[in-house]
Amino acid sequence: MSEHALSVRNLSTVFEDGERTVHAVRDVSFDMRPTERLGVVGESGSGKSALALSILGLIEPPGKVTGGSISLGGREISKLSDRQLGAVRGKDIALVLQDPMSALDPVKTIGSQVIEAIAAHEPELRRSAARKRAAELLGEVDIPQADRRLDDYPHQYSGGMRQRVAIAMAIAHNPSVLIADEPTTALDVTTQSQVLALLDRLVEQHGTAVILITHNLGVVSDFCDSIAVMYAGRFVETSGVDHIFLSPTHPYSEALLKCVPNPERLTDGPLPAITGFPPDLSRLPSGCSFSPRCPVGREVAKCHEQAPQPLRVEGAAGPATVECHFAKERAGEVQGVSEVRP
Amino acid sequence: MGGVVTRRIVGSIGAIFGATILAFVILRALPGNPARLIVGPLATPQALASVSHQIGLDKPIFTQYWLFISHFFQGDWGYSYADGKSVSALIGERLPATIELAVFSFAFTMFFAVICALLVTYRRRPIADRILRGVAYLGFGTPPFFIALLLLILFFRSFHILPGPEGRLGLQSTPPPTVTHMYTLDALIAGKFGTFWSAVEHLILPSIALGLSSFAFIVRLLRANLLEISREPFITVARGKGLRRWTAFRRHALPNAFLPTLTAGGLVLGEFLAGSVLIERVFNWPGIGSLVFDAIVKQDYAVVQTFILLSAVMFVLVNLIVDLLYAVIDPRVRIPSVATS
Repeated sequence: MSEHALSVRNLSTVFEDGERTVHAVRDVSFDMRPTERLGVVGESGSGKSALALSILGLIEPPGKVTGGSISLGGREISKLSDRQLGAVRGKDIALVLQDPMSALDPVKTIGSQVIEAIAAHEPELRRSAARKRAAELLGEVDIPQADRRLDDYPHQYSGGMRQRVAIAMAIAHNPSVLIADEPTTALDVTTQSQVLALLDRLVEQHGTAVILITHNLGVVSDFCDSIAVMYAGRFVETSGVDHIFLSPTHPYSEALLKCVPNPERLTDGPLPAITGFPPDLSRLPSGCSFSPRCPVGREVAKCHEQAPQPLRVEGAAGPATVECHFAKERAGEVQGVSEVRP
Repeated sequence: MGGVVTRRIVGSIGAIFGATILAFVILRALPGNPARLIVGPLATPQALASVSHQIGLDKPIFTQYWLFISHFFQGDWGYSYADGKSVSALIGERLPATIELAVFSFAFTMFFAVICALLVTYRRRPIADRILRGVAYLGFGTPPFFIALLLLILFFRSFHILPGPEGRLGLQSTPPPTVTHMYTLDALIAGKFGTFWSAVEHLILPSIALGLSSFAFIVRLLRANLLEISREPFITVARGKGLRRWTAFRRHALPNAFLPTLTAGGLVLGEFLAGSVLIERVFNWPGIGSLVFDAIVKQDYAVVQTFILLSAVMFVLVNLIVDLLYAVIDPRVRIPSVATS
C-alpha cells in the first residue's frame, strides 16, 4: 500500500437536492505510483470534477462523500476532520482548477494570494520572507519580473499567466500529489502547450504524481502515462495511455477516440459523435450505464440487466481494467486493428 | 485612480446641479404666491409688492436662480415664509434628529443583514433561510408606517418593554448638553448614562420601522451574492491551499460579495437621511420629514427648496463616498486591465 502516492478505494459521492440523488462518483478505486501521471477523461457531467473535490474533501453540501477510503502516501485521509484535512490540503495534495479567470480572487493582489498559499502551512514565516518566497515561486513558473508583479491584481495578468500563478500556488509546498482539473481547457492552444510544458517540468523536478482531469485526449497522450476513462461516475477503463490509443477495449473509450478529429482519416462526412446523451446521474439505467448508447451492447439483454464487473484484460499495448461484459472478446478482437466497425 | 476620482466628483457636481434646477423650477411652477402667504390675505398691494421685492420674486428668473444657489452654498438659506424664522435654524433644529435616526437605523439594518446573510449562507441554516424569506416579504410588502404601528402595539402597548411615541427622549430625561446634536453621543460625552440609554431605547422601534424594508432588500442581495461567490472557483482554490472554511469565506467570499451591497447601502443611507414623514409622524420624531411636510402644506418655498437641495446634496455625497470606497476595495475599478492574453 505505502508505495502508492495515492490510493483510492470504493470512493462514492452523491449530491442530494430533496427529491433527487445524483450519483456523481460511484465506487471508484485506483492507485497511483509516485510521479505517475494519470489522465482522467470523460464527457462533461461524468463526475471528473466531483472526483477531484472528493479526494480533497472539498465536496460542499448538498453533496457528500458516502463511502470509500483515500490513502495519501500511506496515510488514511478520508476520515480526517476538516481542520486536519486543512493541514494536508495545499501541502501534501494540491489543486489547480480549470478556469484561470476565476481561480484567483479578483480583489486581492497576486502576491497576497501566493503568500496565503505559503503561509497556510508555514504560519511562522515572516512576511518579508514569505514575499521573497512568493517571488521565487512566480519566477519558477516563468512570470517575468516576478518581484515587481506581486502587487498586481489578477485582471492585470493574462490568462496564461494566471494559470501559472495557480500552478505556483499549488506547488508551493512541494505536494506529493497534484490534482489538475482541466488546467488548460480555457487557454488558447499556444498558451496551453506552454502551461503543459511548465507543468511537465515542475512535476518532473519535484517528483509529483499528477491527476490530470481533461476531456482533451491529445493532452492526455502528450502528458500522461496512464489513463482512466470515466463514464457516469465510474472508471470504465483504466490502462496505460498506449493501450487506449491503440486498442481501446471499452466501447465508450473507442467511441470517445473516434470523436477526436484525425487529419489522416478526414472524410467528407460530419465528425462522428457518440449518439445519445450521458445518463442522468440521478436515474441511472440498470445494468451497464453505457448500454443505452453502446454500439456493442445496445441490443444485448445482459448489458441492460447486469452491471459489468471490472475485468483485467491484456491488450496489444499492455494490460487494462475494463468494465464491460465484452471486454475479453474485444481485447482480442481489436488487437492491432486501427479501423473498427461502428 | 486619479481618473476615477475626478470622474466621480464631476458626476456628483452634475447631479447636484440638476437637483438645484429641479428644486428651483418645481417650486416656481406650483400654484400660489409666497409673498401673499407672508403678508396675509388682507394686506395692501403695496405691502405685497414690497415683500415680493424683499424676497426677490420681482427679479428676472435667472437672477432668482443665481441668488438661490449662491445663497444656498453660502449657507444663507433665507427665512421661512410661514413664520419668519431662518431656515437654517429650522433645519438645524430638526436635521440632527433625522441624522441620528438614519445612522442608527442604517447601522442596525446593515449589521443584522450581514449576520442573517451569514447565517443562511455560511452556516447553511435552511429553517433560518425560510424565516428570513418571510421577514423579507413582510418588509417588502408592508408599508413602514403600518410596521411602526404594529411595533408600537407589540413592544409598547402589550409588553411595555420599549417606550412609546414620545420623540427622542422620555419625559423624565432632559436633553444632554449639546456637542454633536446626537443625543446618544452627547449623553455619553456628558457621562449621563441614563439619558444615553433612554435615547437608545427611543431609537429602537423607529429604526426597525424605518429599516425593515431596506433590511429585506439588503439581506436578499447579500445572500444571493454570498451564495454566488462561495461557488466561485477561487473559493475552492483558497480551500485547496489548506485554509479553513471560515478563513476562505472571510478573506475571499465576503469582500467580493459585499461590493454590490455597498452600492445598495449608499442608496439606503441616502434615503434614510432625507427623513421619513410617516415614521416621524408615528413616533413623534422631531425630524426633518415632518418639518418639510408642514412646509409643503404651508407652501413655505424657502424651507422646501432648501430641503430638496440639502437632501440631494447629502444623497450625492453619500454615493460619492460609496463610489470612492468601491474604487478602494475593487482594484478592477481603479486599475485598467492590461491583460494581453
